[in-house]
Amino acid sequence: MNTRILKAEFDYFAPASIGEALALIAQNGPTARFIAGGTDLLVQMKLETVAPGCLISLMKISELSVLKREKGFLRIGAAVTWDRILAFGSEDRSYPALDDAVRCLGKVQVRRMGTIGGNLCTASPAADSAPALLVYDSRVRLVSARGRRTLLLDKYFLGVQQTARAADEIMTEIRIPAPRPDVGGAFQKLARVGADISKISCAVAVERKGRVCVSCRVAMGAVAPVPLMIRGVPEFLQEKTVTASLLVTAGRMISDEIRPITDVRSTAEYRKQVAGVLFRDVFQKAWTRAGGEP
Amino acid sequence: MTTYPVRFLLNGTPVEVDVAAQDTLLETLRNKLWATEVKNGCGKGDCGCCAVLLDGRAVNSCLTLAVQANGKEVVTVKGLGNEDDPHPLQESFIRKGAIQCGFCTAGMIVSAKSLLDENPRPSPDEIREAVSGNLCRCTGYKKIIEAISDAAPKCSPSD
Repeated sequence: MNTRILKAEFDYFAPASIGEALALIAQNGPTARFIAGGTDLLVQMKLETVAPGCLISLMKISELSVLKREKGFLRIGAAVTWDRILAFGSEDRSYPALDDAVRCLGKVQVRRMGTIGGNLCTASPAADSAPALLVYDSRVRLVSARGRRTLLLDKYFLGVQQTARAADEIMTEIRIPAPRPDVGGAFQKLARVGADISKISCAVAVERKGRVCVSCRVAMGAVAPVPLMIRGVPEFLQEKTVTASLLVTAGRMISDEIRPITDVRSTAEYRKQVAGVLFRDVFQKAWTRAGGEP
Repeated sequence: MTTYPVRFLLNGTPVEVDVAAQDTLLETLRNKLWATEVKNGCGKGDCGCCAVLLDGRAVNSCLTLAVQANGKEVVTVKGLGNEDDPHPLQESFIRKGAIQCGFCTAGMIVSAKSLLDENPRPSPDEIREAVSGNLCRCTGYKKIIEAISDAAPKCSPSD
Protein backbone atom coordinates (compact mmCIF):
# COMPACT_ATOMS: atom_id res chain seq x y z
CA MET A 1 0.00 0.00 0.00
CA ASN A 2 1.65 3.21 -1.18
CA THR A 3 1.66 6.08 1.25
CA ARG A 4 5.04 7.47 0.18
CA ILE A 5 4.16 9.62 -2.78
CA LEU A 6 1.21 11.21 -4.48
CA LYS A 7 1.29 9.45 -7.83
CA ALA A 8 -1.34 11.31 -9.79
CA GLU A 9 -0.74 14.76 -11.17
CA PHE A 10 -3.08 17.60 -10.30
CA ASP A 11 -3.22 21.39 -10.39
CA TYR A 12 -3.06 23.45 -7.24
CA PHE A 13 -4.53 26.82 -6.34
CA ALA A 14 -4.55 28.76 -3.09
CA PRO A 15 -7.08 31.57 -3.55
CA ALA A 16 -7.32 34.41 -1.03
CA SER A 17 -11.08 34.91 -1.19
CA ILE A 18 -14.27 32.85 -1.29
CA GLY A 19 -15.25 34.46 -4.60
CA GLU A 20 -11.99 33.35 -6.18
CA ALA A 21 -12.35 29.83 -4.77
CA LEU A 22 -15.87 29.50 -6.15
CA ALA A 23 -14.70 30.71 -9.57
CA LEU A 24 -11.87 28.15 -9.53
CA ILE A 25 -14.13 25.23 -8.64
CA ALA A 26 -16.47 26.24 -11.49
CA GLN A 27 -13.58 26.51 -13.98
CA ASN A 28 -11.84 23.27 -13.07
CA GLY A 29 -14.70 20.87 -13.53
CA PRO A 30 -16.04 17.96 -11.54
CA THR A 31 -12.67 16.49 -10.53
CA ALA A 32 -11.65 19.66 -8.65
CA ARG A 33 -11.74 19.42 -4.86
CA PHE A 34 -11.34 21.82 -2.00
CA ILE A 35 -8.58 21.01 0.47
CA ALA A 36 -8.11 22.35 3.99
CA GLY A 37 -5.49 20.83 6.32
CA GLY A 38 -5.04 17.80 4.06
CA THR A 39 -4.50 15.33 6.91
CA ASP A 40 -7.19 13.07 5.52
CA LEU A 41 -7.48 13.99 1.84
CA LEU A 42 -3.77 13.61 1.10
CA VAL A 43 -3.74 10.16 2.72
CA GLN A 44 -6.74 9.13 0.61
CA MET A 45 -4.97 10.47 -2.49
CA LYS A 46 -1.82 8.48 -1.66
CA LEU A 47 -3.97 5.37 -1.28
CA GLU A 48 -5.61 6.32 -4.60
CA THR A 49 -9.12 6.09 -3.22
CA VAL A 50 -9.67 9.57 -4.64
CA ALA A 51 -7.87 11.28 -7.53
CA PRO A 52 -8.73 14.97 -7.84
CA GLY A 53 -7.57 16.69 -11.03
CA CYS A 54 -7.24 19.94 -9.15
CA LEU A 55 -6.90 20.97 -5.51
CA ILE A 56 -8.13 24.34 -4.30
CA SER A 57 -6.70 25.16 -0.90
CA LEU A 58 -8.98 27.08 1.45
CA MET A 59 -6.26 27.89 3.96
CA LYS A 60 -5.49 31.39 2.68
CA ILE A 61 -9.05 32.66 2.93
CA SER A 62 -9.12 34.83 6.06
CA GLU A 63 -12.91 34.62 6.40
CA LEU A 64 -12.56 30.89 7.09
CA SER A 65 -10.23 31.34 10.06
CA VAL A 66 -12.56 33.37 12.29
CA LEU A 67 -12.82 32.16 15.91
CA LYS A 68 -14.96 34.34 18.14
CA ARG A 69 -18.13 34.71 20.19
CA GLU A 70 -20.77 36.81 18.53
CA LYS A 71 -24.50 37.34 19.14
CA GLY A 72 -25.07 34.24 21.24
CA PHE A 73 -22.95 31.95 19.08
CA LEU A 74 -19.39 30.74 18.99
CA ARG A 75 -18.26 31.12 15.38
CA ILE A 76 -15.52 28.74 14.30
CA GLY A 77 -14.24 29.21 10.75
CA ALA A 78 -14.10 25.97 8.78
CA ALA A 79 -10.34 26.33 8.26
CA VAL A 80 -9.56 26.78 11.96
CA THR A 81 -7.05 24.15 13.05
CA TRP A 82 -7.60 21.93 16.08
CA ASP A 83 -4.74 23.43 18.06
CA ARG A 84 -6.45 26.84 17.92
CA ILE A 85 -9.72 25.33 19.13
CA LEU A 86 -7.84 23.57 21.91
CA ALA A 87 -6.18 26.83 22.99
CA PHE A 88 -9.56 28.58 22.88
CA GLY A 89 -11.12 25.80 24.97
CA SER A 90 -8.51 26.04 27.69
CA GLU A 91 -9.56 29.67 28.25
CA ASP A 92 -13.27 29.36 27.60
CA ARG A 93 -14.83 26.37 29.36
CA SER A 94 -18.29 26.74 27.78
CA TYR A 95 -17.99 23.65 25.56
CA PRO A 96 -16.26 20.92 27.57
CA ALA A 97 -17.53 18.10 25.32
CA LEU A 98 -15.84 19.73 22.33
CA ASP A 99 -12.72 20.27 24.38
CA ASP A 100 -12.64 16.57 25.38
CA ALA A 101 -13.05 15.59 21.73
CA VAL A 102 -10.28 17.84 20.43
CA ARG A 103 -7.87 16.53 23.07
CA CYS A 104 -8.13 12.98 21.73
CA LEU A 105 -8.45 13.91 18.07
CA GLY A 106 -5.17 13.04 16.41
CA LYS A 107 -1.82 13.94 17.81
CA VAL A 108 0.12 17.19 18.02
CA GLN A 109 1.19 17.53 14.38
CA VAL A 110 -2.20 16.46 13.06
CA ARG A 111 -3.96 18.93 15.38
CA ARG A 112 -1.72 21.65 13.96
CA MET A 113 -2.72 20.87 10.39
CA GLY A 114 -6.21 19.38 10.52
CA THR A 115 -9.27 21.65 10.57
CA ILE A 116 -12.76 21.46 12.01
CA GLY A 117 -14.33 22.04 8.59
CA GLY A 118 -12.16 19.34 7.06
CA ASN A 119 -13.29 16.86 9.70
CA LEU A 120 -16.96 17.63 8.99
CA CYS A 121 -16.51 17.56 5.21
CA THR A 122 -14.70 14.20 5.33
CA ALA A 123 -17.73 13.09 7.35
CA SER A 124 -16.40 9.84 8.74
CA PRO A 125 -18.99 8.15 10.97
CA ALA A 126 -16.18 8.06 13.56
CA ALA A 127 -15.29 11.78 13.30
CA ASP A 128 -14.49 12.75 16.88
CA SER A 129 -15.70 16.33 16.61
CA ALA A 130 -19.13 15.36 15.30
CA PRO A 131 -20.85 13.96 18.44
CA ALA A 132 -19.64 16.92 20.52
CA LEU A 133 -20.81 19.45 17.94
CA LEU A 134 -24.14 17.61 17.61
CA VAL A 135 -24.96 17.76 21.33
CA TYR A 136 -24.33 21.51 21.28
CA ASP A 137 -26.87 21.91 18.45
CA SER A 138 -24.26 23.30 16.03
CA ARG A 139 -25.00 24.65 12.58
CA VAL A 140 -22.82 24.71 9.51
CA ARG A 141 -22.71 27.58 7.02
CA LEU A 142 -22.23 26.75 3.36
CA VAL A 143 -21.65 29.03 0.41
CA SER A 144 -21.73 28.43 -3.34
CA ALA A 145 -22.36 30.45 -6.47
CA ARG A 146 -26.05 29.84 -5.71
CA GLY A 147 -25.87 31.65 -2.38
CA ARG A 148 -25.36 31.04 1.33
CA ARG A 149 -27.26 28.65 3.56
CA THR A 150 -27.18 27.41 7.13
CA LEU A 151 -27.89 23.81 8.06
CA LEU A 152 -28.32 22.14 11.42
CA LEU A 153 -25.45 19.71 11.80
CA ASP A 154 -28.09 17.10 12.64
CA LYS A 155 -29.39 17.45 9.06
CA TYR A 156 -25.95 17.66 7.45
CA PHE A 157 -24.65 14.07 7.64
CA LEU A 158 -26.32 11.78 5.10
CA GLY A 159 -24.20 8.62 4.99
CA VAL A 160 -20.66 7.28 5.20
CA GLN A 161 -18.60 10.24 3.97
CA GLN A 162 -21.74 11.73 2.47
CA THR A 163 -23.14 15.09 3.43
CA ALA A 164 -25.61 17.72 2.34
CA ARG A 165 -22.70 19.82 1.05
CA ALA A 166 -22.52 19.95 -2.75
CA ALA A 167 -19.09 19.46 -4.33
CA ASP A 168 -18.98 23.12 -5.37
CA GLU A 169 -20.04 24.39 -1.95
CA ILE A 170 -17.56 25.71 0.60
CA MET A 171 -18.17 25.20 4.31
CA THR A 172 -17.41 28.61 5.77
CA GLU A 173 -18.02 28.18 9.47
CA ILE A 174 -19.54 26.22 12.31
CA ARG A 175 -21.82 28.10 14.69
CA ILE A 176 -22.40 26.79 18.17
CA PRO A 177 -25.12 28.38 20.30
CA ALA A 178 -23.96 29.59 23.73
CA PRO A 179 -25.00 26.89 26.19
CA ARG A 180 -27.59 27.66 28.88
CA PRO A 181 -26.25 27.89 32.41
CA ASP A 182 -26.36 24.60 34.35
CA VAL A 183 -25.45 22.64 31.23
CA GLY A 184 -22.57 20.19 31.58
CA GLY A 185 -20.95 18.39 28.69
CA ALA A 186 -18.50 15.57 28.13
CA PHE A 187 -17.11 13.39 25.36
CA GLN A 188 -15.22 10.15 25.50
CA LYS A 189 -14.08 7.62 22.95
CA LEU A 190 -12.87 4.07 23.10
CA ALA A 191 -9.82 3.36 20.98
CA ARG A 192 -6.78 1.13 21.06
CA VAL A 193 -4.47 4.04 21.82
CA GLY A 194 -5.37 7.68 22.38
CA ALA A 195 -5.15 9.14 18.91
CA ASP A 196 -6.58 6.15 17.06
CA ILE A 197 -9.80 6.27 15.12
CA SER A 198 -12.64 5.56 17.56
CA LYS A 199 -14.17 2.13 18.01
CA ILE A 200 -17.08 4.04 19.46
CA SER A 201 -17.52 7.52 20.91
CA CYS A 202 -20.17 9.36 22.88
CA ALA A 203 -20.96 12.97 23.73
CA VAL A 204 -23.53 14.22 26.24
CA ALA A 205 -24.78 17.69 27.10
CA VAL A 206 -27.11 17.76 30.09
CA GLU A 207 -28.96 20.56 31.83
CA ARG A 208 -29.60 19.74 35.47
CA LYS A 209 -31.52 21.22 38.34
CA GLY A 210 -30.46 19.53 41.57
CA ARG A 211 -30.94 15.83 40.89
CA VAL A 212 -33.33 16.36 37.99
CA CYS A 213 -32.29 16.09 34.36
CA VAL A 214 -34.06 19.07 32.81
CA SER A 215 -32.99 18.08 29.31
CA CYS A 216 -30.13 16.31 27.62
CA ARG A 217 -28.67 15.62 24.22
CA VAL A 218 -26.69 12.50 23.36
CA ALA A 219 -24.74 11.72 20.20
CA MET A 220 -22.50 8.80 19.29
CA GLY A 221 -19.77 8.13 16.75
CA ALA A 222 -18.90 4.94 14.85
CA VAL A 223 -22.26 3.31 15.59
CA ALA A 224 -24.13 4.07 12.35
CA PRO A 225 -23.41 5.33 8.81
CA VAL A 226 -23.49 8.87 10.22
CA PRO A 227 -22.47 10.44 13.54
CA LEU A 228 -25.69 9.60 15.32
CA MET A 229 -28.00 11.84 17.31
CA ILE A 230 -29.67 9.59 19.89
CA ARG A 231 -33.44 10.18 19.88
CA GLY A 232 -35.06 7.98 22.55
CA VAL A 233 -32.98 8.64 25.65
CA PRO A 234 -33.29 12.45 25.87
CA GLU A 235 -37.07 12.11 25.92
CA PHE A 236 -36.86 9.27 28.45
CA LEU A 237 -34.63 11.24 30.84
CA GLN A 238 -36.41 14.57 30.54
CA GLU A 239 -37.58 15.97 33.89
CA LYS A 240 -36.66 12.73 35.68
CA THR A 241 -34.67 12.40 38.89
CA VAL A 242 -31.42 10.79 37.87
CA THR A 243 -30.58 7.50 39.59
CA ALA A 244 -28.11 4.74 38.78
CA SER A 245 -30.87 2.36 37.69
CA LEU A 246 -32.43 5.01 35.44
CA LEU A 247 -29.10 5.38 33.64
CA VAL A 248 -28.77 1.62 33.24
CA THR A 249 -32.15 1.60 31.49
CA ALA A 250 -31.10 4.58 29.34
CA GLY A 251 -27.89 2.74 28.42
CA ARG A 252 -29.91 -0.30 27.29
CA MET A 253 -32.12 1.95 25.16
CA ILE A 254 -28.99 3.30 23.46
CA SER A 255 -27.66 -0.19 22.75
CA ASP A 256 -30.99 -0.92 21.07
CA GLU A 257 -31.08 2.30 19.06
CA ILE A 258 -27.61 2.22 17.50
CA ARG A 259 -26.83 0.38 14.26
CA PRO A 260 -23.12 -0.48 14.39
CA ILE A 261 -21.23 -2.65 11.93
CA THR A 262 -18.32 -5.03 12.37
CA ASP A 263 -15.04 -3.69 10.97
CA VAL A 264 -11.29 -3.80 11.67
CA ARG A 265 -11.68 -1.74 14.82
CA SER A 266 -14.48 -3.58 16.55
CA THR A 267 -17.43 -5.92 16.20
CA ALA A 268 -21.04 -4.81 16.05
CA GLU A 269 -21.73 -6.96 19.10
CA TYR A 270 -18.99 -5.30 21.17
CA ARG A 271 -20.13 -1.85 20.14
CA LYS A 272 -23.69 -2.63 21.22
CA GLN A 273 -22.51 -4.07 24.53
CA VAL A 274 -20.22 -1.21 25.39
CA ALA A 275 -22.44 1.65 24.17
CA GLY A 276 -24.60 1.68 27.30
CA VAL A 277 -21.60 1.61 29.62
CA LEU A 278 -19.85 4.37 27.69
CA PHE A 279 -23.02 6.46 27.76
CA ARG A 280 -23.27 6.10 31.56
CA ASP A 281 -19.64 7.14 32.04
CA VAL A 282 -19.97 10.16 29.78
CA PHE A 283 -23.35 11.16 31.24
CA GLN A 284 -21.87 10.99 34.74
CA LYS A 285 -18.98 13.24 33.74
CA ALA A 286 -21.29 15.76 32.07
CA TRP A 287 -23.66 15.59 35.06
CA THR A 288 -20.84 16.39 37.51
CA ARG A 289 -19.64 19.22 35.30
CA ALA A 290 -23.14 20.70 35.29
CA GLY A 291 -22.56 21.36 38.98
CA GLY A 292 -23.95 20.09 42.27
CA GLU A 293 -23.73 16.62 43.82
CA PRO A 294 -22.30 13.86 41.64
CA MET B 1 2.81 19.09 -16.04
CA THR B 2 2.58 22.43 -14.29
CA THR B 3 5.53 23.32 -12.14
CA TYR B 4 5.38 25.76 -9.29
CA PRO B 5 8.39 27.80 -8.21
CA VAL B 6 8.65 27.58 -4.44
CA ARG B 7 10.88 29.70 -2.21
CA PHE B 8 11.39 29.20 1.50
CA LEU B 9 14.00 29.40 4.22
CA LEU B 10 15.54 26.01 4.95
CA ASN B 11 17.43 26.05 8.22
CA GLY B 12 18.02 29.76 7.75
CA THR B 13 19.19 29.56 4.12
CA PRO B 14 16.91 30.79 1.32
CA VAL B 15 16.16 28.01 -1.17
CA GLU B 16 14.32 28.05 -4.46
CA VAL B 17 13.00 24.91 -6.10
CA ASP B 18 10.54 24.01 -8.85
CA VAL B 19 7.99 21.47 -7.70
CA ALA B 20 4.91 19.73 -9.02
CA ALA B 21 1.68 20.14 -7.08
CA GLN B 22 1.83 16.50 -6.01
CA ASP B 23 5.34 16.78 -4.52
CA THR B 24 5.16 16.60 -0.76
CA LEU B 25 7.39 18.80 1.35
CA LEU B 26 9.07 15.60 2.57
CA GLU B 27 10.00 14.42 -0.94
CA THR B 28 11.18 17.88 -1.88
CA LEU B 29 13.35 18.17 1.21
CA ARG B 30 14.88 14.73 0.75
CA ASN B 31 15.13 14.35 -3.01
CA LYS B 32 15.62 17.89 -4.26
CA LEU B 33 17.28 19.67 -1.36
CA TRP B 34 19.12 16.66 0.08
CA ALA B 35 17.81 17.26 3.58
CA THR B 36 17.90 13.49 4.18
CA GLU B 37 17.91 13.99 7.94
CA VAL B 38 14.11 14.20 7.55
CA LYS B 39 12.88 10.61 7.52
CA ASN B 40 10.13 8.98 5.50
CA GLY B 41 8.22 6.67 7.82
CA CYS B 42 4.54 5.83 7.45
CA GLY B 43 3.63 8.56 4.96
CA LYS B 44 0.21 9.12 6.50
CA GLY B 45 0.73 11.17 9.62
CA ASP B 46 0.98 8.40 12.21
CA CYS B 47 4.70 8.13 12.98
CA GLY B 48 6.09 11.67 13.05
CA CYS B 49 9.50 10.68 11.56
CA CYS B 50 9.08 13.41 8.94
CA ALA B 51 8.27 16.19 11.41
CA VAL B 52 9.77 19.58 10.61
CA LEU B 53 9.11 23.03 12.00
CA LEU B 54 7.00 25.02 9.55
CA ASP B 55 6.99 28.63 10.72
CA GLY B 56 8.12 27.41 14.12
CA ARG B 57 5.57 24.64 14.66
CA ALA B 58 5.94 20.91 14.17
CA VAL B 59 4.03 19.47 11.20
CA ASN B 60 4.27 16.20 9.31
CA SER B 61 6.09 17.00 6.07
CA CYS B 62 4.62 13.87 4.45
CA LEU B 63 1.17 15.47 4.61
CA THR B 64 2.30 18.93 3.60
CA LEU B 65 2.53 19.82 -0.07
CA ALA B 66 5.77 21.51 -1.08
CA VAL B 67 3.74 24.38 -2.56
CA GLN B 68 2.34 25.03 0.92
CA ALA B 69 5.83 25.84 2.20
CA ASN B 70 6.15 28.75 -0.21
CA GLY B 71 7.23 31.88 1.64
CA LYS B 72 7.60 30.05 4.94
CA GLU B 73 10.43 28.96 7.18
CA VAL B 74 11.32 25.27 7.41
CA VAL B 75 13.60 23.96 10.15
CA THR B 76 14.80 20.36 10.31
CA VAL B 77 16.77 18.71 13.10
CA LYS B 78 19.92 19.80 11.29
CA GLY B 79 18.90 23.42 11.67
CA LEU B 80 18.96 23.12 15.44
CA GLY B 81 22.63 22.26 15.78
CA ASN B 82 25.49 20.14 14.49
CA GLU B 83 28.28 17.97 15.84
CA ASP B 84 30.45 20.96 16.72
CA ASP B 85 27.66 23.01 18.20
CA PRO B 86 24.78 20.72 19.21
CA HIS B 87 21.45 21.96 20.49
CA PRO B 88 20.84 21.08 24.18
CA LEU B 89 18.15 18.61 23.03
CA GLN B 90 20.59 16.85 20.69
CA GLU B 91 23.21 16.70 23.43
CA SER B 92 20.71 15.40 25.94
CA PHE B 93 19.44 12.65 23.58
CA ILE B 94 23.03 11.40 23.22
CA ARG B 95 23.91 11.67 26.89
CA LYS B 96 20.72 9.98 28.08
CA GLY B 97 20.89 7.14 25.55
CA ALA B 98 17.62 8.29 23.98
CA ILE B 99 18.81 7.21 20.52
CA GLN B 100 18.73 3.55 19.59
CA CYS B 101 18.33 2.95 15.86
CA GLY B 102 17.94 6.70 15.39
CA PHE B 103 15.19 6.66 12.79
CA CYS B 104 12.64 8.49 14.96
CA THR B 105 15.19 10.87 16.48
CA ALA B 106 14.97 13.66 13.89
CA GLY B 107 11.20 13.90 14.32
CA MET B 108 11.31 13.44 18.10
CA ILE B 109 13.75 16.32 18.54
CA VAL B 110 11.71 18.56 16.23
CA SER B 111 8.54 17.82 18.24
CA ALA B 112 10.43 18.41 21.49
CA LYS B 113 11.75 21.72 20.20
CA SER B 114 8.23 22.76 19.18
CA LEU B 115 7.02 21.90 22.71
CA LEU B 116 9.82 23.74 24.54
CA ASP B 117 9.26 26.88 22.45
CA GLU B 118 5.68 27.00 23.69
CA ASN B 119 6.16 25.53 27.14
CA PRO B 120 9.73 25.89 28.45
CA ARG B 121 9.16 23.79 31.62
CA PRO B 122 6.87 20.92 30.63
CA SER B 123 5.83 18.17 33.04
CA PRO B 124 6.59 14.56 32.06
CA ASP B 125 2.93 14.19 31.05
CA GLU B 126 3.09 17.26 28.86
CA ILE B 127 6.23 15.86 27.22
CA ARG B 128 4.48 12.51 26.61
CA GLU B 129 1.55 14.35 25.02
CA ALA B 130 3.88 16.46 22.86
CA VAL B 131 5.72 13.46 21.40
CA SER B 132 2.62 11.24 21.19
CA GLY B 133 2.66 11.80 17.43
CA ASN B 134 6.17 10.35 17.17
CA LEU B 135 6.58 6.61 17.22
CA CYS B 136 9.80 4.94 18.37
CA ARG B 137 9.83 1.36 17.14
CA CYS B 138 12.78 0.59 19.45
CA THR B 139 10.30 1.62 22.18
CA GLY B 140 12.91 3.77 23.90
CA TYR B 141 10.30 6.19 25.18
CA LYS B 142 11.51 6.36 28.80
CA LYS B 143 14.92 7.68 27.83
CA ILE B 144 13.39 10.04 25.29
CA ILE B 145 11.09 11.62 27.89
CA GLU B 146 14.04 11.90 30.30
CA ALA B 147 16.24 13.47 27.64
CA ILE B 148 13.65 16.15 26.84
CA SER B 149 12.99 16.79 30.51
CA ASP B 150 16.71 17.13 31.15
CA ALA B 151 17.29 19.46 28.21
CA ALA B 152 14.40 21.80 29.04
CA PRO B 153 16.20 24.03 31.58
CA LYS B 154 19.17 24.35 29.22
CA CYS B 155 17.14 25.53 26.22
CA SER B 156 16.12 29.00 25.23
CA PRO B 157 13.80 29.80 22.30
CA SER B 158 16.75 31.30 20.42
CA ASP B 159 18.61 27.95 20.49
